[in-house]
Parts: sequence; structure tokens; C-alpha cells
Amino acid sequence: MIKLNNKLIAIAASALLATTMFAAEGTTKPLPANVYKATKNALDGGVTYKRENGAYTAYRVNDQSTKGVNFGRAPTANELKAWDADIMPDGTGLPVGSGTADDGETLYDKDCAVCHGEFGAGGKGYPTLTGGSLESLKNQRDCPGKEAPNRTIGSYWPKASTLIWYIRDAMPYAHPKSYSPDQMYAMTAYLLREGGVQIDGKDIEELNQDNFKKIVMPNEKGFYPNIDGPKGVENVRAFYKNPKNFGAVGTRCMSNCGKESVMKIGNEITAVVPAYSTVRDLPKEEAKGAVSEAQKLYEKSCAVCHKTDAMGAPAVGDKGAWEKAMGKGMDKVNHNAINGVGGMPPKGGAMDLSDAQVKDIVKFMVESSK
Amino acid sequence: MSNISENNLETTTNKEQSSRRDFFKRTAAYSVSAIAAANLLAPVKLSADDANIINHVEWGTTLGDELNKYPYGIPSAYEHNVVRRTSSLLSSAGDMHAAVSMTPLHELEGIITPNGLHFTRTHNGVAHIDPNKYRLMIHGLVEKPIVLTLEQLKKYPAESRLLFLECPANGAAEWKGPQFNSLQFVKGMMSNAEWTGVRLKTILDEIGLKPTAKWMLAEGSDGSEMSRTVPVEKVLDDAMIVWAQNGEAIRPEQGYPVRLMLPGWEANLCVKWLKRLEFGAEPWYCKEETSKYTALMASGKAIQHYYPLEVNSIITTPCPEKPWSDLKKGDMVEVEGIAWSGHGTITGVDISLDGGNNYVEAKLKGLVLPKSWTRFSYMYKYEGKPLLIQSRAMDDAGFVQPSVTQEKAIMGLEGVYHRNSICTWEVRQDGSVHNVQVRTDNCPK
Repeated sequence: MIKLNNKLIAIAASALLATTMFAAEGTTKPLPANVYKATKNALDGGVTYKRENGAYTAYRVNDQSTKGVNFGRAPTANELKAWDADIMPDGTGLPVGSGTADDGETLYDKDCAVCHGEFGAGGKGYPTLTGGSLESLKNQRDCPGKEAPNRTIGSYWPKASTLIWYIRDAMPYAHPKSYSPDQMYAMTAYLLREGGVQIDGKDIEELNQDNFKKIVMPNEKGFYPNIDGPKGVENVRAFYKNPKNFGAVGTRCMSNCGKESVMKIGNEITAVVPAYSTVRDLPKEEAKGAVSEAQKLYEKSCAVCHKTDAMGAPAVGDKGAWEKAMGKGMDKVNHNAINGVGGMPPKGGAMDLSDAQVKDIVKFMVESSK
Repeated sequence: MSNISENNLETTTNKEQSSRRDFFKRTAAYSVSAIAAANLLAPVKLSADDANIINHVEWGTTLGDELNKYPYGIPSAYEHNVVRRTSSLLSSAGDMHAAVSMTPLHELEGIITPNGLHFTRTHNGVAHIDPNKYRLMIHGLVEKPIVLTLEQLKKYPAESRLLFLECPANGAAEWKGPQFNSLQFVKGMMSNAEWTGVRLKTILDEIGLKPTAKWMLAEGSDGSEMSRTVPVEKVLDDAMIVWAQNGEAIRPEQGYPVRLMLPGWEANLCVKWLKRLEFGAEPWYCKEETSKYTALMASGKAIQHYYPLEVNSIITTPCPEKPWSDLKKGDMVEVEGIAWSGHGTITGVDISLDGGNNYVEAKLKGLVLPKSWTRFSYMYKYEGKPLLIQSRAMDDAGFVQPSVTQEKAIMGLEGVYHRNSICTWEVRQDGSVHNVQVRTDNCPK
């Protein structure tokens, strides 16, 4: 144990460093290495604990045999076919079908561009799918003004099977599992073509269950440890044997360890929902069932752009954005809403709304953003 | 009878109290720093009687609710600010289907996260599974593939473990510097609960794992079919299929009715809404397995299959949300926090008050369990002076939590995941608490 003396030692005063502290004296008695009987042999570089004498660390366990505990039934062939549908890097599980990159582009523009941007170039807040380069992966924003690495399908993903599997199970976002095999190939072909991935040195025009297996992703060798083949698991074990591989480099210094600079928050992120509060009071009485006519009209005609600020419009609930919008007064905001402003068409394109209705909606949006 | 005048030394009059509360309401809702300001205003009045003691209180002079008003109980209405929080910056365009919500660590006591406050990460929204239609399939390189209903699964012998679940992106917003002034957003992508289910080994012992099986695919049944590849060695060590969380059914946000539990490993590996386990000889390269949960290094190469969350800790009292603004010089106060390690069990925590130049040992308290939150505590005499307060945890695998500088020297700044370096709270002269980082950067001026 450290002995603390009562004398506080003054540390060189600076605006950023605390001025008085305790001083540590004497030697540090190491803590017991183990709380429980642990063996450092786990695959992940950690420890394992034995189950013995009816115990597992601090837990008591029932050490009677569980032999013969056996529930459930065997799956049928059709059940296996329905669910065992993952797609592996060697092509196992690829559906039979084909699709062209041009067809994929049409489908992409209809289903995907709204989130992932034109040509997969991003900009809508959802993941960017194309662009980027292997070279950019070395970018480190360790000092101000540096570029970020650009992790896209073509520049980052090691296996094409991941992409078609992803599209098949999880996309389009709001209607997953709705694509036919031909559509899956078309979309995959388009995204790979846009991402600069080629087969035998040529742009991908069409994909099917056969030529798919010839795709080699540009960043295939960009990941470690190597998990493939009979040595895969042992490679993982070897990786975790060296703590330097994963930054486990902390050391236990107790005194005079050294002083470093203090970095404060530059631009604090305060956009959190619900807003920060530790107050213990009764919640505001929420008007029960009172969804106003204005709110209904807002949901129908305006929310698609104003629910968030993704489209550049002031988001309902964003106090700062609406204070800014209200800078020139309510009349100006009403005028803009009715006649259009910036990227917003007159009445947000909802020309069936009367001027009075638009004003009611604006009022609702302003009131909801205070 | 106690001495009334002494007892009243630090009470406030009813009027003063309500005006303070009004101030609090107006300002505190919008910024954490305002909380500190409000606490500064805490009035100290000598010999004023506390109306809450002198007068009858309203709940003492009326009939309470009928006890069966809430067949499933709810927290006090006064606790309505103790909730998970989200930030549109931790989502795609503010879309809360593929996003994360943060546990209010500043309001938690002990090591159990109430189920309604467990952090949540989804890739395609929260799925709602009909338990009557739920099926689990286990197949591939096994002797006897099986399909189980939920009721059949729950007939297997159950064990319970207190385990943390942490998103490997916990703290990822802070690689390049502090951004959130809030414990909830600095470390709230984690929770700790008692999970109950069957050890996977118990099932595999019966259905027979083939010796060629090296990997297990775990697949969810939600819209994203979130899936991951797990080495069989982990499966046979401490992996579980769980159906209960703190004594009740797993919440939909946590994977109702069944999720995989891989103690100490990234929470995304603990696949929710679990549908299928397949055993194979080769890894799968699942959907988020490379595109997301890999850590890009300065070499341009990325770590894949990055499983355990390394030893970590955070001080929860004080913190930006719970400052020391109401302390007086000379007050004895407890510094408290949480430590955890996916590699094993916490063996100790050291505390620094001077930004990492000197440390003292804190005490562990409560249950000390593997791969679970462990509470630590240190009694401190508040001097009313600025502090840079830190905690540094150690585990029984021999790892010590690194400093920011130590970690970034190896991991760079673009890896996103597994950030476990020492956190620093700056306690200012006024007792307010601010998120800062103690670090060395070598940038041209």
C-alpha cells in the first residue's frame, strides 16, 4: 500500500494543471495476481477459469452430469434450405441468377440513392459506398487539417460475397429481403463497377453465380490476423499473444509518472435527445391525444425534409436552427414557407395547402423547437 | 431528540428552494455546465426551518395509489430524466433505426443496469418477435442438427452470470479529442446485467460437434440479419444462449426472446434475435464483420476478428452530470467508478488526482466477478481546488489500462473501435466537472 503523508506537494502551477496534489511515498505492494484461479490461455489473450468442485469463480454451479438433456428435433431438408442461405467467400450459397450493372444502376437510383447518394457517393448521412482508395486507408487525422481514410466497398471490403449477402438479407433498408437473385446480382455489379472493382482487368458489366467467384477485391489482403484455412484460428491466437498488436501497453507507474498537456473540448456536441437534465421533477403534462391539425399536416407534407437536418432544412426540435430561422421574424418565415426559399419549393411542394394552413404548420414547427 | 438548530444549518426556506428549482428548470435542461452553475447557487441559511419537516407533506395526508395500479411497476414519475439518450451524430442522418442509445451511467448504482436503461445498438430497428413463432436452428458440422422452440430451449439447464455488454465503439467519438461533456456519452455504450440461459457447450455435448468445426456463424432474424463468426474455442469455453435479463425476459431492444452471449467480447458478436448457429471449417465474412467491426491502423491494414474489450474504467462520481459544486473545502467525499475487462477479472484500480503524474490505490467494492462491472471507491478530502481526476484499472490477465498517449502510439486515431485509454475529468475551482484528455500530440503550430 502507498503511504500518504499529509504534506501536500505543490506542483508547478499552470492554468491547466491542478496545483496541489497528494504525494506518493514508499513502495507499492502489488495486488494479488489473481482474484480467482485463472489460466492465461484464452484465444483472445485473456484468462479462462475452471469449473471445479461445484464452482466457477465466485459462482456455484451444478456439477451433475447433463448427459441426456436433449430437446428439439432435426430440421427438415426444406427448413435447412430456407435458412442455411449464407453466402461464403468461396461462392457457397450464391443464388442462381444474373444481372447487369446497367440494370443495377436503374434499381439503385430508385431504391438506394436517397440514402447513399448519387452513384453511391454518400452525402446523405448514410454510408458512402463508392470512391475512396487503398492509399487513403493510411490517412491519420492526428493533426488538424488532415484527410480521413475513406472506407468504401471498393477500397476496404475484403470479400465480394459480403456485399451480395448484405444486399440479399438487409437491403433495401426499409424493405429487406425483397430482391430477386437477378436484382441482387445487378445491384452488386453496379456497386462494384462504380467502386472500380474489375474481373480479369475489365470493368464489371454483368454478374452471375459463375463469374462472381472470379472477383478479387482490391483490399483483400488488408486485414489481419489471417483467419482463412487450417491455420486461421492459430493465427488469431498468435495475434493475441502479443499485447502490442492490440494496444494493451499500459504500465503501472505510481509516482512521478510524468506530466502531459490537457486537451479540452473544442466544439462540444450538445445535440442529444432528450436534452441533458438531472432534475427530479414531475414531467410536463403531455396533452393527451391532442395531435393538432397542424401536426397532422406537418407529418404528411413536411416531415420528410424537416424531421432531421439531413436535407439541409431546419429540423423540428433543433432549437438553434429555428432561432436562426426566426432571426428575421415570424412574418419572414411564413413568407419563405409560402413562397419557397433556398432548396425548398413554395409550400414545400405541397401546393394543396392553403396559406393559412402553411402558417399553422410553421407555428407548430416553431413551437415544437423551443 | 436531536439538536434542532444544528440540524438546520444547511436547509433552505421553502421559497428559496422553489426559486432555485425554477432556475434549474430553465437552464439545466439545456447544458450540463448549467447544472454546475445551479448547484453553485445552493443557498445556505442558518436556522431556517425546513417546511418539509415542519409541515405535513402531501403524500402523508392523502390516500396513495391502489397497489395494483401498475401490474408491471414503473419508476417514480420524478425519475423521468433517468433515460437512455441518443445523438443524431451517432446515427445516419438522425435515423434511429440504425443508431445507438446510451445508458445514463451517472444515475446508476451498483453493477446492475435496469432493463429499461440498457444501451441499445440496432442495425435495422428493434425487431419484435412473436415467441410462439420463434425457432432456433443449430446445424452444420454437428452430428445431430436441431431445431428448438423457445419453450424447448428454456428446458435446458440454466446458469446466470453478471456480465457487461459493451459496443466496441464506446468512446469512439473521442480518439482525436474530447467532444461530449457527459459521462453518458463518453462511456454509455455499455451496460451490465444478470443474463440467464444455457451454456452452448451443454447443447453441443449432446448434439455432437464434429472435430472439423472451427468456426460458428451466429445469425439474427431482424431486418439486418446481423451476423458474426465466432471461433469454436470461445463457444466451448463460456458462451451461452440466453433468454433472461435481470430475472425477466430479455427486452426487445436486447434481442427478445434469445441472444447469444460471449462474455467479455464485443456486444455485436452477442447476436440479438438469434435465429441460427451454423458450425463450419472456414470463417464466413459476415455483413458487418469487415465493413464495420474492424480497426484500421496507421499502416493502412486493419485488425479483423477483434474480440475482447480490453481492461477499462471510468469515474462516475464526480462526473460532468454529477459535479462537486455543492462541496465545501474540507468535506470528505467518495470518488466512485466502474472498472471492467473482457480478458478476465478486475484486480485493482488506481486513482490519480493530478492528471496521471501520481496515483494511489482505490478499493474495490461489492461483487468482483469476471467480465462484469466492478465498482471501485476512494475517500477524498475535498480541497476546493482544481483537479484532474483519473482511474486506471488492471485485470488478472496482467493488463493495465493505457494512457491516451500510450494507446494512440500503437493504435493510431482511425481505428474507431476498442478505445480503452484512461479518461480524465477536470474538476474546476467551482466544482464543475469537464471532460478533458491528458495527452501528448506533436502537431506543427
